[in-house]
Amino acid sequence: MGTPSTPFTVLRDFYAEEFARIEREFRATSNGRAATQGRASLLDRVILELSREFLAAEPSDLKKLCLVALGGYGRRELFPHSDIDLMFLWEDRSTESRYREGTQAVSRALWDLRLRLSPTYRFLGECEKFQRDNAEFNISVLDSRYLAGDRELFLQLRNKALPHMIDGARSDLLRDLSELTQQRHKKEGDTIFHLEPNLKNSPGGLRDYHVAWWVGLISRMEKTGRWATSEDIWPSKARLDMEAAFDFLAAARCFLHYRQGRDDNALSYEMQAAAAARGIGIENCRAIDPEDWMRIYFRHARAVYALCTQLLDETVPARDTSRVRGWKSRRSHSAFSVAGARLTVLEPAGLRDPHRLLEVFKYVAEHGIKLSREAEDQIREALPTIFDSGSSLPTLWSNLREILLARHASEGLRAMHSAGLLVRLFPEFGAIDSLVVRDYYHHYTVDAHSFMAIENIHGLREAQQNWERPFATLFSELEEPELLFLSLLFHDVGKGMPCEDHVAGSLESIEKVFSRLDLKPGQADTVRFLIRDHLAMSASLLRRDIFDLGTIRAFAEQVGTPEWLKLLCLFTYADIRAVNPEALTPWKAESLWQLYVLTANYLTRSLDEERFRADAGDLQFIDRIFPLLSAAASREELASFLEGLPRRYLFAHSPQEIASHFQMARKLKEKSVQLHLEHRGQIYALTLLATDRPFLFAGVSGTLASWGMDIWKAEAFANAAGVVVDTFHFTDPHKTLELNPSELARLQKNIEDVLTGATPRERLLRGRAGAQSKLQPKVSVPTQIRFDDSSSPHSTLMEIVTQDGPGLLFRLSSTLANFGCNIEVALIDTEGQRALDTFYLTFGGAKLTPDTQERLRVRLLAEE
Amino acid sequence: MQVESSKIDTRTDDPRRQNSMMRIEAIIQPSRFESVKEALHQIGVEGMTVSEVRGHGRQKGHTETYRGREYEVDLLPKVKIEMVLPYNLVDGAVQTILKTARTGKIGDGKIFLSKVDEVIRIRDEERGEGAL
Repeated sequence: MGTPSTPFTVLRDFYAEEFARIEREFRATSNGRAATQGRASLLDRVILELSREFLAAEPSDLKKLCLVALGGYGRRELFPHSDIDLMFLWEDRSTESRYREGTQAVSRALWDLRLRLSPTYRFLGECEKFQRDNAEFNISVLDSRYLAGDRELFLQLRNKALPHMIDGARSDLLRDLSELTQQRHKKEGDTIFHLEPNLKNSPGGLRDYHVAWWVGLISRMEKTGRWATSEDIWPSKARLDMEAAFDFLAAARCFLHYRQGRDDNALSYEMQAAAAARGIGIENCRAIDPEDWMRIYFRHARAVYALCTQLLDETVPARDTSRVRGWKSRRSHSAFSVAGARLTVLEPAGLRDPHRLLEVFKYVAEHGIKLSREAEDQIREALPTIFDSGSSLPTLWSNLREILLARHASEGLRAMHSAGLLVRLFPEFGAIDSLVVRDYYHHYTVDAHSFMAIENIHGLREAQQNWERPFATLFSELEEPELLFLSLLFHDVGKGMPCEDHVAGSLESIEKVFSRLDLKPGQADTVRFLIRDHLAMSASLLRRDIFDLGTIRAFAEQVGTPEWLKLLCLFTYADIRAVNPEALTPWKAESLWQLYVLTANYLTRSLDEERFRADAGDLQFIDRIFPLLSAAASREELASFLEGLPRRYLFAHSPQEIASHFQMARKLKEKSVQLHLEHRGQIYALTLLATDRPFLFAGVSGTLASWGMDIWKAEAFANAAGVVVDTFHFTDPHKTLELNPSELARLQKNIEDVLTGATPRERLLRGRAGAQSKLQPKVSVPTQIRFDDSSSPHSTLMEIVTQDGPGLLFRLSSTLANFGCNIEVALIDTEGQRALDTFYLTFGGAKLTPDTQERLRVRLLAEE
Repeated sequence: MQVESSKIDTRTDDPRRQNSMMRIEAIIQPSRFESVKEALHQIGVEGMTVSEVRGHGRQKGHTETYRGREYEVDLLPKVKIEMVLPYNLVDGAVQTILKTARTGKIGDGKIFLSKVDEVIRIRDEERGEGAL
């Protein structure tokens, strides 16, 4: 490279030729680091020439003026079309007056070369002070590098002024860095997994690399009074990862700049394909598949993001330390601790115990605290010991369930995935690791989308917008929210499988997942349903008229039960919202809610009409249940039992449960009341089969209330032969049954006695009335009673909303029975302190007349 | 201007004919949007602006009760499609929307047509039909 001589045109040609030479070398080698260093050196030469032209024949002779490279130029990382930060540093005002014109001429010449120059003019004294309104300058000056002029002045800047500024404003500098980084990350959705990331600004991009560099510089200066170097700024392992990441990111950014001819850092699908085809950042510039190339990008971005955020967490004062202090005091004996908002493992050997390993992630999921890099490395090292030995994890579901239900579940799952545990536990998830599926709407990789969907549901706990609140209420009503989370986690794994329909792939995978989790058959059915039909609600929303009864009927038939409808509605909410930040508009959310309400009401109000009819093509239910029966039973017998039962009953119960009910029904000839009581976690489920009789529903609800049980959900159905199938879900707030297991049998005997008349019904609740009447409700719920004659051809539907309380169902059902009403179907539900009960009633075998309805309303209100 | 007839007068004395571009604004049922978009693409209409809107005409809303709470459904969800087309494509586009968006029920929507005096492409400042 020959030394150019002015005039300007010669310098311009020189710059253009050298720029082209560096580009040619990059095309041959893909070495981004060399290209950026080459351009920085080229600019050094140009600025030196201009200094000779406009400031002094020998720039090193300049006194009290120094030209300083800042920012990326200062670090010798000048990308092909990046801005050039140049500082003219004066010692005093007289120097400024003397050289002002010359420095402006240098700037003008650089602009005339079409370079994007950002010149800065500062006195040395100004650089000693932290500039509150100019965070960018405070940070860029940390990367100052001598170019030309008074070297002594530069050394004063480097060795005195800047250390003085850092010493006095370390906290402010770090706070600014942290806030700017948080704002930038938030703008980018707080995830590295963008389908079309920005190489500079996305989390895990070059800006994060530099944040980690600046935090390292400030920390080293504080601890040792020296500037860190690239050899000692970070721990050795992190340094190797970071340098590898920089080489990849720098090569990719140079590629984009050269290809686009401007400072464009958007890694679009088109650019990804082009970079992968050129093998940018790949050894020997080997062409690879774009999806694999993006996986390499994400691996580097993950390393950069992890170090950047960890360094910020360690050095910036924690925003919320109370929970950490509390935790430490409670768990001081534990194998791990929390410092700087990061979890550190005290006894890495303990991680080889799967249960202790999962404890770490349960804590992360509960508190939203990230793993330290060291902890993540230690976990990664421990995994082969656990998994290569073939150890099984018999309690995997109970541990995973706790993680899924925790407030920060998505953080826990991301940590498990980042450390490699999630794929070890569920190799199926590996199919969507950092997977880019190109479409116009999705912004994130498939794995990130799945975690974000889970986060969207947990985010409903702090719902702010009016349109979010109904979904928040729905979430609080779910019986098994963990099944929703499990479905969200695996619903898209099929996208990474070689199959045309990703839903089919996901369903295939979930069966393998089930083989490692001890889910009950009904739970597995729920997860299968959610994965199989996860697009059904959004499809109805967008492609069907949701105000058309036919649409609602078909959709209700597809969903089957109110609980599955709730789950699918929330699934759809979370799934759409995880597509991109704008995907779930208030318009879509409100339409989704309307579809939910219309379908939920249809499921409730069509109960009496939508019944099993063996002669109407409902034989598929027989096909599912019959194989589960004993050899003695016939298909005709089963069909006879099911005849006339609401279809909702068939959807709400698993084939195994219905088979069990059928067997109970067969025993009714021997004993007129058949009971089955089951303990499910905090809930007891009582199933009753009996021939229909007056006060049956009141008798059971009264007995349960007299035992202090709290009924929160119940259903009462009957078949065409008059066999009643009632289910009651209740809690035991006084732990009577839990502490006295023998009382279970006595409770069942008590119910039988009440139903057979051996125990007078009137005795029920007699002793409890006084104590219960003193209880004050937390929320006052005014009673609303609504009658509807249009939903059923032969019953009147009565919906009652009222204050929940002990014995309420007994009082209601007794009043109905005493009034002369027959309960054809009952659906009992509670929402906090609101009882939401629906009864299909007949009076004298027919619908209630308007006059009867009014008299019943008066009677019910009088009984309150 | 609301379309009263389903056919646009293409005679030269039609005052609208003197203007070379027209803006079509169609309010349709959300469930018909995908079909309408596809049908418009098939006749060569590629560019359009789509908005999620709410409203009602003669199709009034109603009140829905869910678990004892009342929900006013007075403004119904609709999709608004807007496009500016050269005059020779307008008739085909209107016919396509009419044919594809119609279900025959109240609430199928409306089409509004208006003249456009000028269009300018921001990128290169090209004007007129060429900028569409």
